[in-house]
Amino acid sequence: MRKPPNIVYGVEDRPPPGVTAFSGIQHVGLMSINLVYPVLIAREAGSSPETVVQIVSLIMIVLALGAILQAFPRGPIGSGFLCQPVPTAAYLLPSLLAAREGGLALVFGMTIAAGLMEIALARGLRFLRPWFPPEIAGLVIVLIGMTTAAVGLRTLLEPGTAAPLGPTHALVAFVTLGTMIALNVWSKGVLRLFCVLVGMIAGYLATAILGGFTGVDAMTLGAEPFLAIPSLRHPGWSFSPELVLPFAVAAVAATLKTAGNVTTCQKLNDADWKRADMRSISGGVVADGLATVTAGVVGASGVNSATMNVGLASATGVLSRRVAYSVAGTLVVLAFFPKLGIALYLMPPSVAGAALLFAASFIIVNGFEIMTSRLLDARKTFVIGLSFIAALAIDFYPHAFRNFPEWAQPFVGSSLVLGILSALLLNMLFRFGVRTTRSLVVEPGSIDAVAIEGFIEAQGAAWGARRDVIDRASFNLAQSIEAIVEGCHPEGALTIEASFDEFNLDVRVSYVGPPLELPEKRPTNEEIMESDEGQRRLAGFMLRRYADRVSSTHRGGRSTILFHFDH
Amino acid sequence: MDLREEQVGGVTVVQIKGRLDSTTSPTLGERLSAMLGAAKARIVVDFSQLEYISSAGFRVLLQAAKRADQNAAKLVLCGVSGKVRQLFELGGFLDLFAISASRDEAITSAG
Repeated sequence: MRKPPNIVYGVEDRPPPGVTAFSGIQHVGLMSINLVYPVLIAREAGSSPETVVQIVSLIMIVLALGAILQAFPRGPIGSGFLCQPVPTAAYLLPSLLAAREGGLALVFGMTIAAGLMEIALARGLRFLRPWFPPEIAGLVIVLIGMTTAAVGLRTLLEPGTAAPLGPTHALVAFVTLGTMIALNVWSKGVLRLFCVLVGMIAGYLATAILGGFTGVDAMTLGAEPFLAIPSLRHPGWSFSPELVLPFAVAAVAATLKTAGNVTTCQKLNDADWKRADMRSISGGVVADGLATVTAGVVGASGVNSATMNVGLASATGVLSRRVAYSVAGTLVVLAFFPKLGIALYLMPPSVAGAALLFAASFIIVNGFEIMTSRLLDARKTFVIGLSFIAALAIDFYPHAFRNFPEWAQPFVGSSLVLGILSALLLNMLFRFGVRTTRSLVVEPGSIDAVAIEGFIEAQGAAWGARRDVIDRASFNLAQSIEAIVEGCHPEGALTIEASFDEFNLDVRVSYVGPPLELPEKRPTNEEIMESDEGQRRLAGFMLRRYADRVSSTHRGGRSTILFHFDH
Repeated sequence: MDLREEQVGGVTVVQIKGRLDSTTSPTLGERLSAMLGAAKARIVVDFSQLEYISSAGFRVLLQAAKRADQNAAKLVLCGVSGKVRQLFELGGFLDLFAISASRDEAITSAG
């Protein structure tokens, strides 16, 4: 794994203790924006303020455990990356339904079920890879970025009665976002590493100076004890078959989101990243599912890996897994000091909204980069384009979906869920008619090198193959045919056959004639310059080196060269 | 393949566009050979618009480099990037030629 130049501390690096500690605090600051979700769910169930504070404390311990589980570098649990969970919007709608129908007991019971579903899905992810290609992972990340941006915009533009939209609100948002961006773009060293934390502190200070905090905020903060042990008392667990579908959809969305986040972490840490490491993704989803199960067991709502924190890590260049332990430590401290947790919970909307927009920018760009790492033909264009439009439709015309039947509401209730489902279904649909093996016949007397390269390019786009693999296959095809026609004098036509699955690209060239030599040793410069044979041996040497595996057979006068490329 | 020549001071810049394979490389070989026949010739070959180079193309470049050595001429390559650079590396050619990062640098180096 080669660390990209813009990354300061890669996953395996050990940053200085101060950097590790403050990075953890910065991450927790951003994570705390999502504490609003368990609070909303608890309020929906008619819980007392004490219960709300208890749930917030418990969920911090769950998040600490989730961050540590996610950072495990080996074994079946954990992706090995700094990819900690947060209370998630994915489980918000089903949890609100459960809270209304059966109170907190039903929320906790269904949360356990959803976590178990995630763990079950993780076990099958490897087999689902063809149905979940990188362009869909990229789309999921872009949609998550858009959802994050939408929440940020809503927080900024509809802040609520506690902090009405006005000059103070706008000025605080400007100071917060401006500080984060300025430090990220124009500063170096410590200031760039902690641009979000410094921006949030600047936002809090600006709010205090401009009189943005209310008396209610002070009373809420004052009512909490300084030190308290989180209580495990809760109303038990219950289960409802009617809520299985909405929680299952949320579990699928959470699984895809974690897969997307872990893919982004892999890509951020490796300048030579080529393909998703399914072990790391599967371990990441298991860790995510376990954290959600734990949340249900101890009495909290569902959690999911935090895309905005992956965006933060990308922005600051601090990706070390040691920061996950710092995140966990900070969360545990907060869980025992309710005043600190409540102070974060009372974050002014202008500060929270600005931080969300900052993180969303990085998430969206990361998603686009993953999407465009593949060749995109008409099929893939429709999968991405139509799914994107479906997601936008929910945000632009929400009223049009309110009349859908009750059973369909879980699918059309969120742009993220509809966008993901649409992409999965369209991908399945468009796989029909995509032949996995294609062939082309070439006459030695009329070689059109551009048409031959066009053949492999078009197939690569139809299969959604990686650009770098297709480039290598394209060279090997053109160079082998050139060398065969010049040196082996084939009788009759050459047959090219290309076959593909998500893991392999095989290109075969067969013809009647002697086999092409594929030497392991490079010919000398003199041999290359002085004879056609030397030039052909150079061709064979390059062909052997460019493919991941080559084989050459000669049977009954017919020679076949197989070039294998890992995908 | 298209060849375009340009004089910059005392340096001849040859821009190659398209594919350099067994069909097109003899044309480049003949042109370079003629230019390098003159004593102390200064040649820059710009690959920035080259899409493909096969073993036949590399053979022509090796022959040109040898001729340049024999005639105390200078041959500098530039625009060797992306896929083409990968092929130079694959065939073990990166260290065999004088390769400059940019066209201007190559002209300075050749001059």
